[in-house]
Amino acid sequence: MKKFIVSLLIAAMAATALVGCGSGDNNNAGTNDNTNEESNANTEDEANAGTEDEGTDESTGNGVSGLISVVSREDGSGTRGAFTELFGILEEDADGNEVDMTTQEATIVTSTEVVLTNVAGDPNAIGYVSLGALNDTVKAVKINGVEATVENIQNGSYEISRPFNIATNGEPTGVAADFINFIMSEEGQAVVSEDYIQAAEDPQPFESTMEAGKITVGGSSSVSPLMQKLIEAYQAINTNAEIDLQTSDSSTGLQEVMDGTSDIGMASRELKDSESSLTATVIAIDGIAVIVNNENTVDDMTPEEVKAIFTGETTTW
Amino acid sequence: MKKFKENIAHVLFFVAAIVSICAVLLICVFLFMSGVPAMQEIGFLNFLGGTKWAPTNTVPSFGIFPMIIGSIYITAGAIILGVPIGIFTAVFMARFCPKKIYKPLKAAVDLLAGIPSVVYGFFGLMVLVPFIRQTTTAIGNATGWEWIYSNGSSILTASMLLAIMILPTIIGVSESAIRAVPDSYYEGALALGATHERSVFFTVLPAAKSGITAGVILGVGRAIGETMAVIMIAGNQPRLTGNIFKGIRTLTANIVVEMGYAEGLHREALIATGVVLFVFILIINLLFSLLKRRSEA
Repeated sequence: MKKFIVSLLIAAMAATALVGCGSGDNNNAGTNDNTNEESNANTEDEANAGTEDEGTDESTGNGVSGLISVVSREDGSGTRGAFTELFGILEEDADGNEVDMTTQEATIVTSTEVVLTNVAGDPNAIGYVSLGALNDTVKAVKINGVEATVENIQNGSYEISRPFNIATNGEPTGVAADFINFIMSEEGQAVVSEDYIQAAEDPQPFESTMEAGKITVGGSSSVSPLMQKLIEAYQAINTNAEIDLQTSDSSTGLQEVMDGTSDIGMASRELKDSESSLTATVIAIDGIAVIVNNENTVDDMTPEEVKAIFTGETTTW
Repeated sequence: MKKFKENIAHVLFFVAAIVSICAVLLICVFLFMSGVPAMQEIGFLNFLGGTKWAPTNTVPSFGIFPMIIGSIYITAGAIILGVPIGIFTAVFMARFCPKKIYKPLKAAVDLLAGIPSVVYGFFGLMVLVPFIRQTTTAIGNATGWEWIYSNGSSILTASMLLAIMILPTIIGVSESAIRAVPDSYYEGALALGATHERSVFFTVLPAAKSGITAGVILGVGRAIGETMAVIMIAGNQPRLTGNIFKGIRTLTANIVVEMGYAEGLHREALIATGVVLFVFILIINLLFSLLKRRSEA
């Protein structure tokens, strides 16, 4: 009996492994197709050779040669949704259905910090993060020669951006209403514009109702650093208010507002149909930076090149 | 009065026992209630056998076959790498180890079991991933094998890390299984003229076989359920591959990676993924208890 179980286990493993290998062969066929396309990609590289020349001497081996490792976020992430839409990676097929064309070979990670760690550690990596989270460990590439900065997003020359939303269940009351008024006021939007782009067209000076009470704000980890600053600035004005900030993610935050466990939800994406019962307000605009390793000598790309890399058409630097 | 105290104690213990049973039942009911309808909506075959996972497309695909294979690959890799090391360590600790080294060795193995999985994952991300990346690049450059290039997040990396993580389980159970073999076996073999090594490997080890197998199965359970460490180093690509230098996504990773942003059918599909994982664990536990019963009988 023991032997039977053991042999059954081994048989099951062997069978599934074989199935996996069979499909693997199909995949290999796919990579062969890619190698054909690489020749096209190489001609593109030659066109860019002028910008890369400085680096190629010292960077043979670990510089920008070899396969590109694409780092992407998980399906459903606000950053991924905005990124794929803005670069046209989200394509419409013949029936008009939207299909996310991000290459299946992309490494999927679950947070902005891990994207940064991965790209900082791998010379061949490319990824994308919220502009507010960008730091020196990686290099942001220019898109069409435009650098990813707050100014360039404001004047419209850097187009890769997305909204930060807050949502309430129905009309906000009490402290929540006062706090939202503050966010959309001149003072609140001044806090926003330190790292992001303000969303209100013509913000008015803030007058607090000095309402007392306690509210809970919860949701997206992308919005949370901004919310933290806003809460501090608000509490300096209205000392009666108590605001509890809970960081989770967009869906959880909005779900909690619908359940009534928190008063204001934060989302780094547009609201979905199933969440349309909530009242949403855009509080800020955030840019998305395309990042590469510091050793990488590429510093300017066109949206088409970025798309080709993320859809798997271009596979080598 | 004494009777009364006795009764209170009885009730107390009974309630304590009920709590754990209730917890298991609640989890089962929750999982199946929210998972099975999603499976029906997607279609059992499309869900379990589908090879395409694209939950956010307008016409979403929910095929978890690549994740099932991913879990099996990584677990199998961990077993292949970890079991020989584990069993030999157990044999060494039980039969060959000088008393002086035994204590620190035992303490080290116990410590290995106590390290949180996120720390393992961080170690993998910082040490194993760059190691695999550099090694494969070097081999690839030297030989011109294109398939060997890897960015470091791969099935091999995850298997190596999980092999280390399941060591304490395998060593612990195997060691006690070897120690449980009656000394008469070992002495009998010696008396027949076998050397120390021969007696250990050809009489004691086979006698402890069912205990060791139980340890291996427990290790499989640990490997298949491991989440945090695997997410950080396996690459998480939801597609099939036969190349151990490429990344893959496991069932556990699929749930954690996407749970945060999922809504509607996507969320339910992730819970259904949990159901599949739960069934896997049930089978493993069943095998374990079967084997245990055999060895006791």
